[in-house]
Amino acid sequence: MLGRQSGILSRVRRTGVIEDARGLGLHDHVCWAYDDLNDFRCRAREFLAEGLELGQQVWYVAPGDVETLADDLRDLDGMALALQVGAARVVSVESAYPAGTVVEPAAQAQAFVTAAMQARMLGFSGLRVAADTTPLVRTRGQLEAFARYECVVDRCIASHPLSGMCAYNRQELGEEVIAQLACLHPNINGSTAQFRLHASNHAAASLNGELDMTTVELLSLALQRADLQPDGGEVVIDAAGLTFIDHRALLMLADRTRRTHATVVLQTDWPGAAPLVECLDIKEVRVEPPGWR
Amino acid sequence: MFHEAAFYSSEDELLNIAVPFLEASLETGAPSMVVLNERDSELIRSVIPDTSQLSFLRDPYLRPASVIKSVQQVLTGQMFDGTEQIRILGEVPHPGMGMPWEWWARYEATINHAFDQSPLWVLCLYDLRITSGDVLNDVTQTHPYLMTADGRRTVNNRYLCPEVFLTRARPTYPDPLEAASPLVDLVDPMPLAARQAVREAGASTRLPVADVEGLVIAVCEALTNSICHGRPPVQLRLWANPDRVVVTVTDRGGGPADPFAGLLPAATGPPGGLGLWLAHQLCSLVTLDKTKDTFTVRLVAGQPASCHPDVRVA
Repeated sequence: MLGRQSGILSRVRRTGVIEDARGLGLHDHVCWAYDDLNDFRCRAREFLAEGLELGQQVWYVAPGDVETLADDLRDLDGMALALQVGAARVVSVESAYPAGTVVEPAAQAQAFVTAAMQARMLGFSGLRVAADTTPLVRTRGQLEAFARYECVVDRCIASHPLSGMCAYNRQELGEEVIAQLACLHPNINGSTAQFRLHASNHAAASLNGELDMTTVELLSLALQRADLQPDGGEVVIDAAGLTFIDHRALLMLADRTRRTHATVVLQTDWPGAAPLVECLDIKEVRVEPPGWR
Repeated sequence: MFHEAAFYSSEDELLNIAVPFLEASLETGAPSMVVLNERDSELIRSVIPDTSQLSFLRDPYLRPASVIKSVQQVLTGQMFDGTEQIRILGEVPHPGMGMPWEWWARYEATINHAFDQSPLWVLCLYDLRITSGDVLNDVTQTHPYLMTADGRRTVNNRYLCPEVFLTRARPTYPDPLEAASPLVDLVDPMPLAARQAVREAGASTRLPVADVEGLVIAVCEALTNSICHGRPPVQLRLWANPDRVVVTVTDRGGGPADPFAGLLPAATGPPGGLGLWLAHQLCSLVTLDKTKDTFTVRLVAGQPASCHPDVRVA
């Protein structure tokens, strides 16, 4: 469930399409689709090396035994020592999550929040996790649970000293599954998703990108999984990065909130939004400029 | 609804037609709207002593789908007030007035259906000095009643029911820009690529961003309809000058089965039926061209060309 929460984040989240895993900080959350395992290793090394430089505790979670995983990182600056003293940790997916594991979204996300708080207590500035979670989305049941987990953990990442990179094997999972997962992240690589619905630091959710006939089913799934909750009778959506939404998607947003008698407040300066809402007389959607409140 | 056309060739004839129509309305207290250019509105004001009960609207004839929607809203409001009849006196745009005709021809046919059961009396004026033969032909096929300049009213035996008029093969009205090679010519584009092409073209014009994005929405809707309901291949072509962008979306299907598509929102069915109706409200011109093998939606942002070769000016 994504919901508007009070509290000011220490850093504005980065959102968009990224070329590599550099320059990311606390609260950033990346979906990295890879075709070649070496690509994932390369991005994980970038991501974790910068985490160490930022004083974060770093975790590397991937298939394989821990010795091999540690070898993936050991030659990075300061990593050998970090592995020795616990500033860096490697986790074998197979040992942590037996084959077929279906994650429990809230518990799994809470586990990372707890780990982040423990890292802070140990003097780290936060926790950074790079994980190849392909084995956790292989079946339909796993995918459904993990997609919901992505929404919950994204909210946690936005509001706790956490950052994460979720890597998925595109060759194994296929473009459609990758799109279902990528669209729930603020940062993606390549053209894995045409829009992104994720946690916001001042709204129920942030909606970016372009929504049209090709994203109807994906948006429907994303909205189910994100489970946007009204606050004061409104579901405020930070859509500053929205550059197109067609009437199907607008009506879908209205429909999802109609049952809760809430109004969707779409904060966007895309000039097409207000005329569409007016033409269609959609009473459940109101368009406002970004940062209007 | 009582829908009639009246033809005039002078100011005196215009007044002979308009004044009795409006005075009758004033006598009964029925609300009346006058939709004429400023000169003709002033002419009427000069001969009717008290026009306080008349609503003079300035240039609302921009988009036929929006006019129909507005009239529906007025009717809904007036019905709550217990009004028995509303009169509208107007002059619909056509090439003689510097505006394209195709979608207004569909409008004249469509309102017979849209307001069939409404307490509405619509008198459409056409100035014979500037109205072309093609337009007059359409007018006589879309108005159940005609009025001559001396005020005689007749049942029009050339009238066609709107479904027949709208499904007949009609002439196509390409934009003059289409005489040149298109700036963009895409076959089976995805909507994202189409939007990018329109935005790039729009950025090189003087059009406001809102107008360009309106065209972006409309093109996306037309393309979506062609992909979902038409037959491939779908061809998107684009022309532009500094003041206008013209996009055609052509597929090999027969076009929408609903003869009123575009001017009225689809009454039933999935939300996708709204796309063409939205396009008609967001563009400065939408034309629908059917041939034996193709269906083309033409979408324009910016000032449209009148698109008519046969303008008869006195």
